[in-house]
Amino acid sequence: MIPPGSLALLAQGAAVSLLLAAAAIVGGTVLAIVLAAAAFSRIAAVRALYRVYVYIVRGTPLLVLALLLFYAMPALDLRTGPYIAGTLVLIIYTGALFAEVFRGGVLSIPRPQWESARSLGLPPVAMFRKIVAPLVTRYTLPPYVNVCVMTVKASSVLSIISVWELTLAAREIIERTFAVFTILGLAAAFYFVMCFGIDRLGRRVERRLALRGFAGERA
Amino acid sequence: MIAIRGLRKAFGGLRVLQGVDLDIGDGEVVALIGRSGCGKTTLLRCINFLEEYDAGEIRLDNTPLWYREAPGGGRQRVSEAEARRQRQQMGIVFQQYNLFPHMTVLDNVLLGPRFSQRVSAVEADHLGRRLLARVGLEGKMSAYPAQLSGGQQQRVAIARALAMRPKVLLLDEITSALDPELVGEVEDVIRSLLSERIMMVIVTHALRFAREVAHRIAYLSDGAIVELGSPAEVLDRPKDPSLKEFLRHVR
Repeated sequence: MIPPGSLALLAQGAAVSLLLAAAAIVGGTVLAIVLAAAAFSRIAAVRALYRVYVYIVRGTPLLVLALLLFYAMPALDLRTGPYIAGTLVLIIYTGALFAEVFRGGVLSIPRPQWESARSLGLPPVAMFRKIVAPLVTRYTLPPYVNVCVMTVKASSVLSIISVWELTLAAREIIERTFAVFTILGLAAAFYFVMCFGIDRLGRRVERRLALRGFAGERA
Repeated sequence: MIAIRGLRKAFGGLRVLQGVDLDIGDGEVVALIGRSGCGKTTLLRCINFLEEYDAGEIRLDNTPLWYREAPGGGRQRVSEAEARRQRQQMGIVFQQYNLFPHMTVLDNVLLGPRFSQRVSAVEADHLGRRLLARVGLEGKMSAYPAQLSGGQQQRVAIARALAMRPKVLLLDEITSALDPELVGEVEDVIRSLLSERIMMVIVTHALRFAREVAHRIAYLSDGAIVELGSPAEVLDRPKDPSLKEFLRHVR
Protein backbone atom coordinates (compact mmCIF):
# COMPACT_ATOMS: atom_id res chain seq x y z
CA MET A 1 0.00 0.00 0.00
CA ILE A 2 2.81 2.44 0.86
CA PRO A 3 4.53 3.64 -2.33
CA PRO A 4 8.10 2.31 -2.36
CA GLY A 5 10.78 4.71 -1.14
CA SER A 6 8.28 7.14 0.29
CA LEU A 7 8.94 6.22 3.94
CA ALA A 8 12.62 7.08 3.63
CA LEU A 9 11.79 10.39 1.96
CA LEU A 10 9.28 11.25 4.65
CA ALA A 11 11.81 10.37 7.34
CA GLN A 12 14.33 12.70 5.70
CA GLY A 13 11.70 15.42 5.56
CA ALA A 14 10.91 14.85 9.23
CA ALA A 15 14.61 15.20 10.08
CA VAL A 16 14.70 18.58 8.31
CA SER A 17 11.52 19.66 10.12
CA LEU A 18 13.04 18.69 13.43
CA LEU A 19 16.23 20.59 12.63
CA LEU A 20 14.27 23.70 11.65
CA ALA A 21 12.25 23.45 14.87
CA ALA A 22 15.39 22.91 16.95
CA ALA A 23 17.06 25.97 15.43
CA ALA A 24 13.90 27.99 16.01
CA ILE A 25 13.60 26.81 19.61
CA VAL A 26 17.24 27.60 20.46
CA GLY A 27 17.29 30.89 18.55
CA GLY A 28 13.82 31.85 19.74
CA THR A 29 14.73 31.17 23.38
CA VAL A 30 17.82 33.37 23.21
CA LEU A 31 15.82 36.10 21.46
CA ALA A 32 13.03 35.73 24.02
CA ILE A 33 15.39 36.21 26.97
CA VAL A 34 16.53 39.51 25.48
CA LEU A 35 12.93 40.47 24.67
CA ALA A 36 11.66 39.57 28.15
CA ALA A 37 14.44 41.67 29.67
CA ALA A 38 13.25 44.53 27.45
CA ALA A 39 9.71 43.97 28.73
CA PHE A 40 10.90 44.84 32.24
CA SER A 41 13.24 47.65 31.22
CA ARG A 42 13.28 50.83 33.26
CA ILE A 43 13.12 52.79 30.03
CA ALA A 44 9.54 53.22 28.86
CA ALA A 45 10.53 53.37 25.18
CA VAL A 46 12.18 49.95 25.41
CA ARG A 47 9.06 48.48 27.01
CA ALA A 48 6.98 50.03 24.23
CA LEU A 49 9.26 48.49 21.59
CA TYR A 50 8.74 45.12 23.21
CA ARG A 51 4.97 45.47 23.04
CA VAL A 52 5.07 46.59 19.41
CA TYR A 53 7.22 43.58 18.49
CA VAL A 54 4.96 41.11 20.27
CA TYR A 55 1.74 42.64 18.92
CA ILE A 56 2.99 42.63 15.34
CA VAL A 57 4.45 39.13 15.35
CA ARG A 58 1.64 37.58 17.33
CA GLY A 59 -1.00 39.41 15.33
CA THR A 60 0.28 38.23 11.94
CA PRO A 61 -0.14 34.75 10.45
CA LEU A 62 3.13 32.84 10.24
CA LEU A 63 2.32 32.12 6.60
CA VAL A 64 2.19 35.82 5.76
CA LEU A 65 5.38 36.51 7.74
CA ALA A 66 7.18 33.72 5.89
CA LEU A 67 6.13 35.00 2.46
CA LEU A 68 6.99 38.55 3.44
CA LEU A 69 10.51 37.69 4.56
CA PHE A 70 11.08 35.34 1.63
CA TYR A 71 10.23 38.02 -0.94
CA ALA A 72 11.77 40.87 1.04
CA MET A 73 15.17 39.30 1.48
CA PRO A 74 16.30 39.42 -2.16
CA ALA A 75 15.00 42.98 -2.31
CA LEU A 76 17.25 43.75 0.65
CA ASP A 77 20.02 42.12 -1.35
CA LEU A 78 20.27 39.23 1.06
CA ARG A 79 20.64 36.23 -1.20
CA THR A 80 20.10 33.68 1.46
CA GLY A 81 17.65 31.21 0.05
CA PRO A 82 14.58 29.69 1.62
CA TYR A 83 16.31 27.80 4.45
CA ILE A 84 17.85 30.85 6.09
CA ALA A 85 14.69 32.89 5.52
CA GLY A 86 12.58 30.05 6.89
CA THR A 87 14.70 29.59 9.99
CA LEU A 88 14.74 33.33 10.62
CA VAL A 89 11.00 33.66 10.35
CA LEU A 90 10.49 30.77 12.77
CA ILE A 91 12.93 32.37 15.24
CA ILE A 92 11.14 35.72 14.97
CA TYR A 93 7.82 33.97 15.55
CA THR A 94 8.76 31.67 18.44
CA GLY A 95 10.81 34.49 20.00
CA ALA A 96 7.64 36.51 20.51
CA LEU A 97 5.75 33.52 21.93
CA PHE A 98 8.57 32.46 24.26
CA ALA A 99 9.03 36.06 25.39
CA GLU A 100 5.43 36.23 26.57
CA VAL A 101 5.87 32.88 28.35
CA PHE A 102 8.97 34.19 30.14
CA ARG A 103 7.32 37.50 30.94
CA GLY A 104 4.50 35.58 32.60
CA GLY A 105 7.09 33.58 34.55
CA VAL A 106 8.80 36.70 35.87
CA LEU A 107 5.42 38.10 36.90
CA SER A 108 4.74 34.88 38.84
CA ILE A 109 7.74 35.31 41.11
CA PRO A 110 6.15 36.21 44.44
CA ARG A 111 7.00 39.67 45.73
CA PRO A 112 8.52 38.29 48.96
CA GLN A 113 11.09 36.40 46.86
CA TRP A 114 12.20 39.65 45.25
CA GLU A 115 12.37 41.29 48.66
CA SER A 116 14.44 38.48 50.15
CA ALA A 117 16.89 38.72 47.26
CA ARG A 118 17.04 42.50 47.47
CA SER A 119 17.57 42.45 51.21
CA LEU A 120 20.61 40.23 50.68
CA GLY A 121 22.02 42.90 48.38
CA LEU A 122 22.41 40.48 45.48
CA PRO A 123 23.95 42.10 42.40
CA PRO A 124 21.89 41.92 39.17
CA VAL A 125 23.81 39.05 37.56
CA ALA A 126 23.52 36.83 40.64
CA MET A 127 19.88 37.86 41.01
CA PHE A 128 19.20 36.62 37.48
CA ARG A 129 21.30 33.46 37.66
CA LYS A 130 20.39 32.32 41.14
CA ILE A 131 16.81 33.51 41.61
CA VAL A 132 15.04 34.71 38.47
CA ALA A 133 16.24 32.13 35.93
CA PRO A 134 15.71 29.03 38.11
CA LEU A 135 12.26 30.12 39.25
CA VAL A 136 11.09 31.26 35.81
CA THR A 137 12.31 27.98 34.28
CA ARG A 138 10.23 26.02 36.74
CA TYR A 139 7.13 28.19 36.42
CA THR A 140 7.16 28.28 32.63
CA LEU A 141 8.15 24.78 31.62
CA PRO A 142 4.64 23.55 30.65
CA PRO A 143 3.78 26.58 28.46
CA TYR A 144 7.35 26.57 27.11
CA VAL A 145 6.99 22.95 25.95
CA ASN A 146 3.65 23.93 24.48
CA VAL A 147 5.34 26.50 22.23
CA CYS A 148 8.08 23.98 21.33
CA VAL A 149 5.47 21.47 20.14
CA MET A 150 3.69 24.20 18.23
CA THR A 151 6.96 25.16 16.55
CA VAL A 152 7.42 21.67 15.12
CA LYS A 153 4.00 21.87 13.52
CA ALA A 154 4.41 25.50 12.48
CA SER A 155 7.54 24.57 10.50
CA SER A 156 5.20 22.93 7.96
CA VAL A 157 4.19 26.42 6.83
CA LEU A 158 7.70 26.90 5.42
CA SER A 159 6.87 24.44 2.63
CA ILE A 160 5.13 27.41 0.99
CA ILE A 161 8.49 29.16 0.48
CA SER A 162 9.98 25.94 -0.92
CA VAL A 163 11.76 24.80 2.24
CA TRP A 164 12.01 21.08 1.70
CA GLU A 165 10.77 19.53 4.90
CA LEU A 166 8.19 16.94 5.91
CA THR A 167 5.12 18.63 4.42
CA LEU A 168 6.82 19.48 1.12
CA ALA A 169 8.23 15.95 0.92
CA ALA A 170 4.70 14.59 1.38
CA ARG A 171 3.32 16.86 -1.33
CA GLU A 172 6.03 15.79 -3.77
CA ILE A 173 5.32 12.13 -3.17
CA ILE A 174 1.60 12.71 -3.57
CA GLU A 175 2.15 14.43 -6.91
CA ARG A 176 3.98 11.36 -8.17
CA THR A 177 1.86 8.62 -6.62
CA PHE A 178 -1.57 10.16 -5.91
CA ALA A 179 -1.58 8.20 -2.61
CA VAL A 180 -3.08 11.23 -0.88
CA PHE A 181 -4.45 9.68 2.30
CA THR A 182 -1.64 7.21 2.88
CA ILE A 183 1.07 9.82 2.54
CA LEU A 184 -0.71 12.57 4.48
CA GLY A 185 -1.56 10.03 7.17
CA LEU A 186 2.09 9.02 7.38
CA ALA A 187 3.21 12.66 7.50
CA ALA A 188 0.74 13.31 10.30
CA ALA A 189 2.12 10.28 12.15
CA PHE A 190 5.66 11.63 11.82
CA TYR A 191 4.58 15.01 13.21
CA PHE A 192 2.76 13.29 16.03
CA VAL A 193 5.77 11.22 17.03
CA MET A 194 8.04 14.28 17.08
CA CYS A 195 5.58 16.29 19.17
CA PHE A 196 4.96 13.38 21.49
CA GLY A 197 8.71 13.01 22.00
CA ILE A 198 9.08 16.68 22.91
CA ASP A 199 6.18 16.37 25.30
CA ARG A 200 7.78 13.41 27.06
CA LEU A 201 11.12 15.17 27.22
CA GLY A 202 9.40 18.19 28.74
CA ARG A 203 7.80 16.01 31.40
CA ARG A 204 11.13 14.53 32.31
CA VAL A 205 12.76 17.92 32.71
CA GLU A 206 9.75 19.05 34.72
CA ARG A 207 10.12 16.16 37.13
CA ARG A 208 13.83 16.75 37.48
CA LEU A 209 13.38 20.44 38.27
CA ALA A 210 10.32 20.01 40.49
CA LEU A 211 10.64 21.97 43.71
CA ARG A 212 11.30 19.43 46.44
CA GLY A 213 8.96 18.90 49.29
CA PHE A 214 5.78 20.30 47.80
CA ALA A 215 2.54 18.37 47.53
CA GLY A 216 1.94 17.40 43.93
CA GLU A 217 5.64 16.85 43.35
CA ARG A 218 4.74 13.93 41.10
CA ALA A 219 1.96 15.63 39.18
CA MET B 1 24.07 52.80 66.22
CA ILE B 2 21.03 53.76 64.22
CA ALA B 3 19.50 57.21 64.30
CA ILE B 4 16.10 57.77 62.70
CA ARG B 5 14.85 61.34 62.39
CA GLY B 6 11.56 62.70 61.15
CA LEU B 7 10.66 59.66 59.06
CA ARG B 8 7.56 60.18 56.94
CA LYS B 9 5.91 57.80 54.56
CA ALA B 10 2.55 57.82 52.80
CA PHE B 11 0.93 55.24 50.56
CA GLY B 12 -1.09 57.48 48.29
CA GLY B 13 -3.19 59.57 50.62
CA LEU B 14 -2.67 57.25 53.57
CA ARG B 15 -0.04 58.65 55.91
CA VAL B 16 1.55 55.60 57.49
CA LEU B 17 4.54 57.20 59.19
CA GLN B 18 4.17 60.75 60.42
CA GLY B 19 7.52 61.78 61.74
CA VAL B 20 9.23 58.93 63.54
CA ASP B 21 12.34 59.60 65.67
CA LEU B 22 14.18 56.65 67.15
CA ASP B 23 17.72 55.88 68.28
CA ILE B 24 19.03 52.38 68.62
CA GLY B 25 22.30 52.06 70.47
CA ASP B 26 25.03 49.52 69.77
CA GLY B 27 23.96 46.15 71.06
CA GLU B 28 20.50 47.41 71.84
CA VAL B 29 17.31 45.47 71.21
CA VAL B 30 14.23 47.58 70.53
CA ALA B 31 10.77 46.10 70.14
CA LEU B 32 8.11 47.91 68.11
CA ILE B 33 4.57 47.23 69.25
CA GLY B 34 1.18 48.63 68.31
CA ARG B 35 -2.10 47.86 66.61
CA SER B 36 -2.04 46.39 63.14
CA GLY B 37 -1.81 49.26 60.70
CA CYS B 38 0.05 51.51 63.12
CA GLY B 39 3.10 51.60 60.86
CA LYS B 40 5.53 49.34 62.74
CA THR B 41 6.20 46.98 59.83
CA THR B 42 6.49 49.91 57.42
CA LEU B 43 9.04 51.51 59.74
CA LEU B 44 11.08 48.31 59.77
CA ARG B 45 10.92 48.04 55.98
CA CYS B 46 12.02 51.65 55.59
CA ILE B 47 15.13 50.94 57.67
CA ASN B 48 16.51 48.58 55.02
CA PHE B 49 14.85 50.46 52.14
CA LEU B 50 12.38 47.82 51.07
CA GLU B 51 10.11 50.86 51.23
CA GLU B 52 11.12 54.27 50.05
CA TYR B 53 10.22 57.05 52.46
CA ASP B 54 9.06 60.54 51.68
CA ALA B 55 11.05 62.52 54.21
CA GLY B 56 13.40 62.08 57.11
CA GLU B 57 16.77 60.51 57.63
CA ILE B 58 18.20 57.19 58.72
CA ARG B 59 21.82 57.01 59.81
CA LEU B 60 23.85 53.91 60.58
CA ASP B 61 27.00 54.61 62.58
CA ASN B 62 26.62 58.24 61.59
CA THR B 63 26.49 57.54 57.83
CA PRO B 64 23.27 58.58 56.14
CA LEU B 65 21.55 55.71 54.33
CA TRP B 66 19.56 55.40 51.10
CA TYR B 67 19.41 59.07 50.08
CA ARG B 68 21.96 61.78 49.60
CA GLU B 69 21.69 65.47 48.95
CA ALA B 70 21.00 66.26 45.32
CA PRO B 71 23.23 68.84 43.62
CA GLY B 72 20.32 71.23 43.08
CA GLY B 73 18.97 70.85 46.62
CA GLY B 74 16.55 68.23 47.86
CA ARG B 75 17.56 64.59 47.95
CA GLN B 76 18.15 61.74 45.58
CA ARG B 77 18.41 57.99 45.98
CA VAL B 78 21.87 56.54 46.26
CA SER B 79 22.92 54.37 43.32
CA GLU B 80 21.69 50.77 43.18
CA ALA B 81 25.22 49.53 43.85
CA GLU B 82 25.49 51.76 46.92
CA ALA B 83 22.06 50.63 48.14
CA ARG B 84 23.21 47.01 47.81
CA ARG B 85 26.32 47.75 49.87
CA GLN B 86 24.24 49.46 52.54
CA ARG B 87 21.74 46.59 52.65
CA GLN B 88 24.52 44.14 53.39
CA GLN B 89 24.91 45.76 56.80
CA MET B 90 21.42 44.62 57.75
CA GLY B 91 19.67 41.31 57.91
CA ILE B 92 15.91 41.00 57.78
CA VAL B 93 13.72 38.06 58.73
CA PHE B 94 10.16 38.04 57.43
CA GLN B 95 6.93 36.73 58.89
CA GLN B 96 6.59 34.15 56.10
CA TYR B 97 10.29 33.06 56.11
CA ASN B 98 10.61 33.68 52.34
CA LEU B 99 13.33 31.14 51.77
CA PHE B 100 14.24 30.40 48.15
CA PRO B 101 12.29 27.21 47.38
CA HIS B 102 14.64 25.91 44.68
CA MET B 103 17.74 25.91 46.86
CA THR B 104 18.86 23.69 49.68
CA VAL B 105 18.93 25.08 53.18
CA LEU B 106 22.70 25.49 53.00
CA ASP B 107 22.55 27.28 49.64
CA ASN B 108 19.95 29.66 51.01
CA VAL B 109 22.34 30.63 53.78
CA LEU B 110 25.38 30.82 51.48
CA LEU B 111 23.79 32.96 48.82
CA GLY B 112 24.39 36.37 50.40
CA PRO B 113 28.01 35.84 51.49
CA ARG B 114 28.89 34.09 48.26
CA PHE B 115 27.39 36.47 45.70
CA SER B 116 26.87 39.78 47.52
CA GLN B 117 30.02 39.78 49.59
CA ARG B 118 32.15 37.65 47.26
CA VAL B 119 33.36 35.39 50.04
CA SER B 120 35.23 32.34 48.71
CA ALA B 121 33.22 29.15 48.23
CA VAL B 122 35.11 27.32 50.96
CA GLU B 123 34.79 30.11 53.45
CA ALA B 124 31.08 30.63 52.67
CA ASP B 125 30.43 26.91 53.05
CA HIS B 126 32.17 26.95 56.40
CA LEU B 127 30.21 29.96 57.57
CA GLY B 128 26.93 28.41 56.39
CA ARG B 129 27.55 25.17 58.23
CA ARG B 130 28.51 26.97 61.39
CA LEU B 131 25.41 29.16 61.34
CA LEU B 132 23.10 26.24 60.64
CA ALA B 133 24.63 24.35 63.53
CA ARG B 134 24.05 27.39 65.63
CA VAL B 135 20.31 27.43 64.89
CA GLY B 136 20.21 23.67 65.50
CA LEU B 137 19.79 22.55 61.88
CA GLU B 138 23.13 20.93 61.08
CA GLY B 139 21.19 17.81 60.05
CA LYS B 140 19.03 19.64 57.50
CA MET B 141 21.61 21.33 55.30
CA SER B 142 20.74 19.51 52.12
CA ALA B 143 16.98 19.59 52.72
CA TYR B 144 14.75 21.92 50.72
CA PRO B 145 12.67 24.60 52.50
CA ALA B 146 9.33 22.94 51.79
CA GLN B 147 10.56 19.80 53.53
CA LEU B 148 10.95 21.69 56.81
CA SER B 149 8.48 22.79 59.46
CA GLY B 150 7.67 26.49 59.76
CA GLY B 151 9.87 26.79 62.83
CA GLN B 152 12.80 25.17 61.04
CA GLN B 153 12.33 27.40 57.99
CA GLN B 154 12.31 30.45 60.18
CA ARG B 155 15.53 29.34 61.87
CA VAL B 156 17.11 28.97 58.41
CA ALA B 157 15.89 32.48 57.59
CA ILE B 158 17.63 33.78 60.72
CA ALA B 159 20.83 31.97 59.74
CA ARG B 160 20.54 33.46 56.25
CA ALA B 161 20.22 36.96 57.70
CA LEU B 162 23.17 36.40 60.07
CA ALA B 163 25.36 35.08 57.27
CA MET B 164 25.86 38.63 56.04
CA ARG B 165 27.43 39.47 59.44
CA PRO B 166 25.01 42.36 59.73
CA LYS B 167 25.26 45.22 62.20
CA VAL B 168 21.49 45.17 62.60
CA LEU B 169 18.94 42.41 62.59
CA LEU B 170 15.40 43.39 61.60
CA LEU B 171 12.74 40.91 62.68
CA ASP B 172 9.25 41.34 61.25
CA GLU B 173 6.72 39.36 63.32
CA ILE B 174 8.86 36.30 62.91
CA THR B 175 6.72 34.03 65.07
CA SER B 176 3.28 35.20 63.93
CA ALA B 177 2.89 32.60 61.18
CA LEU B 178 4.04 29.67 63.33
CA ASP B 179 2.05 27.01 65.09
CA PRO B 180 2.16 27.75 68.83
CA GLU B 181 4.37 24.76 69.62
CA LEU B 182 7.02 25.99 67.17
CA VAL B 183 7.29 29.52 68.54
CA GLY B 184 9.65 28.51 71.34
CA GLU B 185 12.42 27.15 69.11
CA VAL B 186 12.56 30.38 67.08
CA GLU B 187 12.48 32.55 70.19
CA ASP B 188 15.32 30.48 71.64
CA VAL B 189 17.50 31.32 68.65
CA ILE B 190 16.87 35.03 69.18
CA ARG B 191 17.63 34.68 72.89
CA SER B 192 20.92 33.02 72.04
CA LEU B 193 21.87 36.09 69.97
CA LEU B 194 21.51 38.52 72.85
CA SER B 195 25.04 37.83 74.07
CA GLU B 196 26.42 38.83 70.63
CA ARG B 197 25.33 42.41 71.25
CA ILE B 198 23.99 42.77 67.75
CA MET B 199 21.44 45.56 67.26
CA MET B 200 17.92 44.26 66.80
CA VAL B 201 14.65 45.85 65.85
CA ILE B 202 11.79 43.50 66.57
CA VAL B 203 8.27 44.03 65.34
CA THR B 204 6.09 41.77 67.41
CA HIS B 205 2.73 41.05 68.94
CA ALA B 206 4.29 38.74 71.52
CA LEU B 207 4.51 41.15 74.44
CA ARG B 208 5.84 38.49 76.78
CA PHE B 209 8.78 37.94 74.44
CA ALA B 210 9.31 41.68 73.91
CA ARG B 211 9.44 42.19 77.69
CA GLU B 212 12.03 39.46 78.02
CA VAL B 213 14.48 40.36 75.24
CA ALA B 214 14.03 44.06 74.51
CA HIS B 215 16.00 46.77 76.26
CA ARG B 216 13.37 49.27 75.20
CA ILE B 217 9.89 49.05 73.76
CA ALA B 218 8.41 51.62 71.39
CA TYR B 219 4.64 51.85 71.11
CA LEU B 220 3.48 53.19 67.76
CA SER B 221 0.11 54.65 67.09
CA ASP B 222 -1.04 56.39 63.89
CA GLY B 223 2.44 56.40 62.45
CA ALA B 224 4.28 57.93 65.38
CA ILE B 225 6.05 56.65 68.47
CA VAL B 226 3.85 57.75 71.33
CA GLU B 227 5.60 55.91 74.12
CA LEU B 228 9.16 54.69 74.45
CA GLY B 229 10.87 53.22 77.46
CA SER B 230 11.96 50.13 79.31
CA PRO B 231 9.60 47.14 79.12
CA ALA B 232 8.48 47.80 82.68
CA GLU B 233 7.72 51.45 81.92
CA VAL B 234 5.81 50.78 78.73
CA LEU B 235 4.02 47.55 79.65
CA ASP B 236 3.42 48.02 83.38
CA ARG B 237 3.10 51.76 83.78
CA PRO B 238 1.69 53.00 80.46
CA LYS B 239 0.79 56.69 80.33
CA ASP B 240 -0.82 57.07 76.94
CA PRO B 241 -4.55 56.21 76.96
CA SER B 242 -4.42 54.37 73.62
CA LEU B 243 -1.52 52.25 74.87
CA LYS B 244 -3.49 51.38 78.02
CA GLU B 245 -6.39 50.40 75.81
CA PHE B 246 -4.10 48.35 73.53
CA LEU B 247 -2.56 46.47 76.46
CA ARG B 248 -6.00 45.68 77.89
CA HIS B 249 -7.00 44.10 74.58
CA VAL B 250 -3.81 42.14 74.06
CA ARG B 251 -3.74 40.59 77.49
